[in-house]
Amino acid sequence: MTILLVPLLLVLVLVNVPIAVALGIVAVVAIVATGGVAALPNAGLLMFSGATRFPLIAIPLFILAGAIMNRAGISRRLVAFASAVVGFIRGGLSMVSISASMFFAEISGSAVADVAALGSILIPAMRRRGYSREFAAAVTSSSATLAVIIPPSIPMILYGVMSGASVVELFVAGILPGVAGGLLMMFVAYLWARRTGLPVEGAFRLGRVWRTLREAGWSLLLPVVILGGIFGGWVTATEGAGLAVVAALLVGGVVYRELSLAKLREAVLECGRQTAVVMLLVAASALLGDFLTEVRVPQRIAASIMQVTESKLAILALLNLFLLATGLFLHSAAAIILVVPVVMPLIEAAGIDPVHFGLIVTLNLGIGQQTPPVASVLVTACSVARADIWRVTRANLWFIAVLLAILGVVTYVPGFSMALVEWLYR
Amino acid sequence: MTRARRIFRGVLEAVVIALVAALAVVVVLGVGFRKAGAALVWYDEAASILLAWVTYYGAALVALARGHIAVPVLVERLRGRVRTVVLLAGEAAVIGFFLVLAWAGLRVQGALAGTTLVSMPAVPAALAQSVIPIGAVLFVAAQLMSLPEALRAGSGDSGAREGSVP
Repeated sequence: MTILLVPLLLVLVLVNVPIAVALGIVAVVAIVATGGVAALPNAGLLMFSGATRFPLIAIPLFILAGAIMNRAGISRRLVAFASAVVGFIRGGLSMVSISASMFFAEISGSAVADVAALGSILIPAMRRRGYSREFAAAVTSSSATLAVIIPPSIPMILYGVMSGASVVELFVAGILPGVAGGLLMMFVAYLWARRTGLPVEGAFRLGRVWRTLREAGWSLLLPVVILGGIFGGWVTATEGAGLAVVAALLVGGVVYRELSLAKLREAVLECGRQTAVVMLLVAASALLGDFLTEVRVPQRIAASIMQVTESKLAILALLNLFLLATGLFLHSAAAIILVVPVVMPLIEAAGIDPVHFGLIVTLNLGIGQQTPPVASVLVTACSVARADIWRVTRANLWFIAVLLAILGVVTYVPGFSMALVEWLYR
Repeated sequence: MTRARRIFRGVLEAVVIALVAALAVVVVLGVGFRKAGAALVWYDEAASILLAWVTYYGAALVALARGHIAVPVLVERLRGRVRTVVLLAGEAAVIGFFLVLAWAGLRVQGALAGTTLVSMPAVPAALAQSVIPIGAVLFVAAQLMSLPEALRAGSGDSGAREGSVP
């Protein structure tokens, strides 16, 4: 019976049934096949309880905070500050894009929010300064992926809930790889700028840095308040997300006075829509997960792979290949929900730290956001730049290589991502 | 866009805005009261239920715009009658699933009669769970209202539109 569910899921997905609904249909078929129609009311209960897991409340709140910040002039001030600090380097606007993404990543948690907020400002600016459409879209898109690696991160919250790993430890594990990825991307952008003769954005002036710092100061304080509260143990990740909403409202509405009621309405609606997309997947996965747990499918897969190899390195290599392939065809939320519950018994059996693996999953799916055909972040950047997705992908290969290099180091040098976790929490 | 669809969207938007705002207020109040040493006993349960409500009312709103995550690659490559048949088969599967869910949700309503929420004894458990049958019916309505446009466009959900996926 179980073996028939995979082709059924594939057929449903291929005829364009939303993945959340396809999961639900497969689960209902499995429930009826094993327990008869009398077991069906369970589906109603599970679809409700699947959407009420408390740690997931952080997702809508971080989305809401990011959506408010997008509309409250915060992105513009971050770009001005980044331009004053790194704009003097050759290819200055690409440096600005990467460094502003690193700042924005600390308050938004969503790569699509990041690319939509910064791309709409920076891609037209880059075009005016002679950057090609393709490079402008590529650098904005790839640097936006830092948003899911640098905390807070919506995929990490999802992974934490699906795997049982600590969300706070996942956030901490993402800091060093995220910062290293950003710096490496800046290096690649610099080499590209030298080769193609991209311009600088004026000389470095302390006066300009100070002026833009004063204007962006409140925005720069946001990550300190949000992440400081979470990492310091003062608030949980969910409560930190609530604080992020309050902080965004105060900074956007009271300090900058750029948040009108109409903009707030848009932000709240965007939050509702994005939350529903992710949470319907989570709820449907609870339905299917219940059946899979009953028939012990993940445990059987883990046992089969462990019979072939018990080497951590080989298992991680296999999982990396599998996750990269998954990222080509699935959005990160869907991929986490489908893959994580199935592979967790294998991770436990192989003795791999679930927090370490969580970062590996996040990085793989972050790369998936850059690789067509399904690449939500790249698609958004291309739509802002009005550029062809495949030509942008060609320009993006160097930045994807940076993300792959970070993935390699994170996978095979666990201390690189886990040192801070070990130091702070273990 | 038809008048009925506009009204339907307007009502769903109002409900989703109210629910998201309520969720944010409950969490912020929860943090504030806990820090003040007077933790609210109902905070976790209320916030969790609001999350489920945002999920299902929001899911219907997203369905109206065909924004759920899907893989439209194959359907987009099909042409003519084959494409229409494949699209309609997918639609039938989606609508069938939510009708089953609505039925299952109604059965649960009956079973929950007389029970209340743990931290809020004044609130019937059936009220919290009512989101399943109501949300399922709303999803079916949204799917049917957006079907003509989906058939004209040649694909169903994509989810890849800007702002629809975090």
